Amino acid sequence: MQSGGDFVDLLRQTGYRFPGENLGDVQAERDLPFEPTDATTILAFQYADGVLVAGDRRATAGNMVLYDRADKVIDLDAYSVMAISGSPSIAFEIARILEHAFQYYRRRLLQEMSLQAKLRRLSLLIKDNLPMAMQGIGAVIPIFATYDQADARGKIYFYDALGAQFESADFTTTGSGSPAIRGAMYYLNRWSGRRFVEMDRDAAIGHALQLLDTASEYDSATGRYERSADIFPSVKTITASGLAEVETEELRQLYVQYVDGEEAGRA
Amino acid sequence: MMLSDEPYRWAEAVANRREYIEDQIRQGSPVVGVGYEDGILLLTLSQSQQKVFEVYDCIGLAAIGHSTDIEKLRQAAIDMAHSIGFNYSEDDVTLRQIVYFGLGPAMKAGFDDVVRSPFLARVLLAELDGQEGAQIFYTVDYDGAFYRHEGCVAVGGVVEADVMMVRELSGLDTRALSLSDAADAALRAWAIGRWIGKMDEVPTDADELEQVAGEVDVADVLVTASKDMEVEAVALGRSQLGKNKYRNVDAEEIAPVLAQFTL
Repeated sequence: MQSGGDFVDLLRQTGYRFPGENLGDVQAERDLPFEPTDATTILAFQYADGVLVAGDRRATAGNMVLYDRADKVIDLDAYSVMAISGSPSIAFEIARILEHAFQYYRRRLLQEMSLQAKLRRLSLLIKDNLPMAMQGIGAVIPIFATYDQADARGKIYFYDALGAQFESADFTTTGSGSPAIRGAMYYLNRWSGRRFVEMDRDAAIGHALQLLDTASEYDSATGRYERSADIFPSVKTITASGLAEVETEELRQLYVQYVDGEEAGRA
Repeated sequence: MMLSDEPYRWAEAVANRREYIEDQIRQGSPVVGVGYEDGILLLTLSQSQQKVFEVYDCIGLAAIGHSTDIEKLRQAAIDMAHSIGFNYSEDDVTLRQIVYFGLGPAMKAGFDDVVRSPFLARVLLAELDGQEGAQIFYTVDYDGAFYRHEGCVAVGGVVEADVMMVRELSGLDTRALSLSDAADAALRAWAIGRWIGKMDEVPTDADELEQVAGEVDVADVLVTASKDMEVEAVALGRSQLGKNKYRNVDAEEIAPVLAQFTL
């Protein structure tokens, strides 16, 4: 018997189809009649209170900067976010489906969806998107971060383009700027004298800002603090008390302290 | 020969159906909705099964009747809300749509189809801060008839109970009440509705009905009910963080209010 808690089933009943379902033959990316849009650098790590997730704000199409206010760290529920790199169109659609799927499940079946089920739902949606990924226009490689109340700790998962899911012990980063900072993250965590998980909230946010700045130094597709428009990266924390966005004023102070000011560059 | 070919038999069949449904529902536990300073309180007393449900971010549902019928209606409302919410936007999910195009027609169709069991349920829905106002309620009767209310409403086993419960709630400043004052009023109304629903012969004369309602020993009804029932309360509160305004009110928040009657 159908339990009726599956939102994707409901969508299909109402005629919804995933973008990739009706695509024809796979073609090479160079043959595309347009430059696909890409969202760039995101990162997540465990810090003392839970998980921090951050992303720059730039979306690009080829060598064009398309948008400098993209929010790539998307709230899914009171304890979960999905951070996206790759095609923002498909990623936002997946995030929207998931947000509704979690709520729909809770309301319809009168219980919260388990963490394992949430991870599985995301994995299935990435699999459903395979035709788009194969076309070279719609690959989505998200980071899913949450606070597991049963385990009383934050958890970070990352995916490959086919939907395989991996749990990250300390930190992860994906997107075009990630090669520039993956080593830096490893170095910081291993030899800086203070692991990410030992950092307090201020230090964690400060280091996230430093890392995104580093990514933007080496990856033209990653945006940095935009002085003319006063746009900061998006940074969110997930702790036992839930998901919270770091406000602009706090980011400004920590940016001065860690990136631009007297402490900039200090490990 | 079809029933509809014979007007008298058709009218008789409809009347029998009404009598059957009302007889099935009348003993149920009433549900009460009342506005308060931060939003809307939905309250009832129940034995074990849940009677108040979350439909969408700002929409709640409570009902009296057969639990499986309520379940079907609840699921239909949730499906409709989420379908609209995803395909259009969260702002496009309105209680009016759910009632006018969802529950109303569904319950009417169920009532009209004489070869099937009708929905044995009367439904109360509440919407916080929607397009129609801050504290909006709709009631949908077992025959699909629906009504819009503002500020407060109650649904009991019989229509007379509804009228007397709403009379008890009327006159309240539902935009200024504290949560506990709203719970106090809702418990009083519930007791009156419960008493009338349990009467063997409900007075049809308005004056007589008012006299009966006025003489209900609220404390006594609540003491009796509390022996095997528990208060179930839900708030749609605008101060709740995030988009979702629906929350279960903790038993500790209601306990002191109930204790005024039962201790």
